[in-house]
Amino acid sequence: MSRYLEKSVVELHELLKKKEITPKMLVEECFERIEQHKDYNAYITLDKERALKEAESLENMAVDNILFGLPIAVKDNIITKDLRTTCASHILDNFIPIYDATVVEKIKAHHMIIIGKTNMDEFAMGSSSRTSFFGPPRNPWNKEKISGGSSGGSATTISLGDVPFALGSDTGGSIRQPASYCGIVGMKPTYGRISRYGLVAFASSLDQIGPMTKNVYENALLLNALIGRDEKDLTSSYKEKEDFTRLIGQSVEGMKIAIPNYFMSDIVDGEIKEKIMDTIALLKKKNIMVDFLDIAYLENAVTLYQIIAMGEASSNLARFDGIRYGHAKENPKDIDDLYYGTREEGFGEEVKRRIMIGSYLLSGENAKEYYNKALSIRDDMRKALLDVFEKYDFILGPTTTTTAYDLKDSMDDPSKSFLDDVLVIPVNMAGLPGLNIPVGLSCNDMPIGLHIIGKPFDEAKMYQLAAFIEKELNLDKNLVGGDYHD
Amino acid sequence: MTNYIPTIGIEVHVELKTNTKIFSPSVNGYGMGANMLTNVIDLGYPGTLPTVNKEVVNQAIKTAILLNCKIRKEMHFDRKNYFYPDNSKNYQITQNRTPIGYDGYVEIELGEEKKKIEIEEIHMEEDTCKSAHRKDVTLLDFNRAGVPLIEIVTKPCISSSLEAKLYIEKLREILLYGDISDCKIEEGSMRCDANLSLRKCESDPFGTKVEIKNIGSINNVKLSLEKEMIRQEKLLDQDETFPAQTRRYDDKLGDTVLMRIKEVGNDYRYFPEPDIPFLYLSDEYIENVKKSIPMTADERREEYQSRGISRLNADKLIMNRSLSDYLNKFLSTDIDFPIASNLLLGDISFYLNKHFIKLDDTKLTDEKFIDLVQKIKSQILTSRNVKDILTDVLETDKQIDELIKENNITNIVDNTYLESIIEKVILNNTSSVEDYLSGHDRAFKYLMGQVMKESKGSANPKMASDLLESKLKKLDN
Repeated sequence: MSRYLEKSVVELHELLKKKEITPKMLVEECFERIEQHKDYNAYITLDKERALKEAESLENMAVDNILFGLPIAVKDNIITKDLRTTCASHILDNFIPIYDATVVEKIKAHHMIIIGKTNMDEFAMGSSSRTSFFGPPRNPWNKEKISGGSSGGSATTISLGDVPFALGSDTGGSIRQPASYCGIVGMKPTYGRISRYGLVAFASSLDQIGPMTKNVYENALLLNALIGRDEKDLTSSYKEKEDFTRLIGQSVEGMKIAIPNYFMSDIVDGEIKEKIMDTIALLKKKNIMVDFLDIAYLENAVTLYQIIAMGEASSNLARFDGIRYGHAKENPKDIDDLYYGTREEGFGEEVKRRIMIGSYLLSGENAKEYYNKALSIRDDMRKALLDVFEKYDFILGPTTTTTAYDLKDSMDDPSKSFLDDVLVIPVNMAGLPGLNIPVGLSCNDMPIGLHIIGKPFDEAKMYQLAAFIEKELNLDKNLVGGDYHD
Repeated sequence: MTNYIPTIGIEVHVELKTNTKIFSPSVNGYGMGANMLTNVIDLGYPGTLPTVNKEVVNQAIKTAILLNCKIRKEMHFDRKNYFYPDNSKNYQITQNRTPIGYDGYVEIELGEEKKKIEIEEIHMEEDTCKSAHRKDVTLLDFNRAGVPLIEIVTKPCISSSLEAKLYIEKLREILLYGDISDCKIEEGSMRCDANLSLRKCESDPFGTKVEIKNIGSINNVKLSLEKEMIRQEKLLDQDETFPAQTRRYDDKLGDTVLMRIKEVGNDYRYFPEPDIPFLYLSDEYIENVKKSIPMTADERREEYQSRGISRLNADKLIMNRSLSDYLNKFLSTDIDFPIASNLLLGDISFYLNKHFIKLDDTKLTDEKFIDLVQKIKSQILTSRNVKDILTDVLETDKQIDELIKENNITNIVDNTYLESIIEKVILNNTSSVEDYLSGHDRAFKYLMGQVMKESKGSANPKMASDLLESKLKKLDN
């Protein structure tokens, strides 16, 4: 097996330009690595034949951009034309879409090669990817641990070094939390930055697609390709295209950082807090001002999130009824039997639970009591966070309260999965950008992540700070998940 | 039988004449094969998102203005959640909490009296798909899914079946002339549901509400309400109670038929559509839309009457939009409008109806029309002449003067010739003349007929009639 995929994207680009390697060689290596890592269960569907053909067709084309000819993995809730898209659910396990998501059109326009669809929690509902109909992915740093979720497959395959790029989606931490557990870089951009057209909706007002990569620079490169106003998504922003790598390497001196006391409270493991404090010390040395403060509503974020996310999900998932696509109950007696049977058979437990709670929350007077109230407190929460950004450039904290836990840990407590995301959820609620970068390992050699929260549309500056920390910590190499073990 | 006071409220859905659907770029049209006018958005595919057709918003603003509604400046769409196969997402995007228009009215004429039918609200929403039930399957055609609808809801302020009918007629006229919808009730582009309850006196609470769904014609609005009133009165007279229910009007039966008992607390789990940002309408934007509203039916009626056209003819013109539009082309000229309207509603309409064609399909030019009206006015052409040459006017490029020549029309504007004819008729019809003189007015008509016959239709009827009358009066002296 060649070992080109251990090189940086910049290096690969140079080699491709000089025709020293071909896209096909990269795709072949990619599939060899995936084959080798089969037991990590990072993928639901692989698209080897088409990917190889696509790679061949690129051989005589000019290498017109830095992403040209590079393989990418796509989370399985992002619609890919002619390539099965399951959302890790039985209800869509035979679903072959007839259109491409806007982000997929964009990566195809950059001549990137989709190699397959990554594993995830069913309909992105969960934080350990264990609600997948196809079984959970395994953490590259310790096979007995979870990869996190819901973008667990994407985090796993990046961490394993199978592929340089992956797309994830983040409704309540689903990019950043698995990125933290697997020790990779994951960005949830500002709500509206990337078109949601073709992202199978979980909670429409919170969902956002984002890039997952090994390092900060490459993350910014992929984000460059994904953004832009999309007339097919009215919630997408009119912000002009920009180069997110442009500030990387510039001085971070004089930046101002806020750390909410809640993010460093008893809810977080001591070991993680220590690593974050180490990082803070590093920043202070560079004349970065760091203040600890209280930010209102952060403690309420999970409750509000549950109401909004489950309410919206109950409606978004109503379309899976067995009539037009996807799984359908065989020989139904009547229409009700088709509805009940299809959804009974097709959805897993967690999805059913959330649909039921969501339906209840929107039912009759409850909509006023819960959903509308949650929307209004959410506005207050957003204002409280934006107020902080009046004085500070970033809000920092740990991404997760613990490191990745055991796959066999109980799933009986449904609220556990939300509490895993207590530190990342406020970002979605306020529509802010949030980024995870690895900052070290725990005593049991599991990755610890730093969470950088930025102002709306301030991703470039977040990459600037993240790249600085990455470099200071000597993590800007292409470390492969589990390397510390070898 | 006791007398009851009916309380009626009406909900109307109209399909808009837009190019594309309300939330997707699919073509809004009919007559195509099943599911030809659909895309992934209409079919509710996973991952698809709605966009908002600006044309629909503009049409809704126009409707709000035409129905004298207040317009909401800040609004959103809502999801109405319910499972039904005609609804691809299993929710309908509609406006529940912030309808675009509210507190309006439509004025109807009850004889001499006018009454304002109050409009509770109007809102935008998407149509569902069409289901066709076969033996043991249901077929779905999503061409109609996502066709833009405006729903217009009155307050429960209609107090008779006649008012209900007049309201629908007036609403239809307003929407037609506003270019909002083609309002074809029989084809489903205008759909009416009526809510009816009866009570004994004004101070009583409202009676049990019965909804009559999908009434198929304007006449049936009146008929179905009348039949339903009779049905309910009978029950109430016998002190029978009945549950709130949905019924439909069966044309063959001539009565309403139960569809279903209303479920208590139908729970649509409404919430604001998160895929569509709030819409904000500026005063300037609304003002610009207002400017695009074409001349309304009422404005036309007023204009026509101010130009001497009778109310009857004005109404007839408005019933026939294309004739009204045609006549409006001449509003800036000083043609004789009563003659022009008579011509359009009389011989021209007769010709068009006979041949099933429209005015645009004929060779009538504006010049020829003006010429025709002028020549009728100056009595160069009689109505008989018009009948003779009209086919050529409408079917050939020949000018009116040419046709007059070709048809040897030499109208007797010459009194001496006419006088000699009249004298001859008087001599040859002494008994009729005597009848006339002894007060039988009908005899005059007969004598006039003889005059026209004698002149082979070339006599100017007005002139001939005047002359005949004066001759006869002379005899009387």
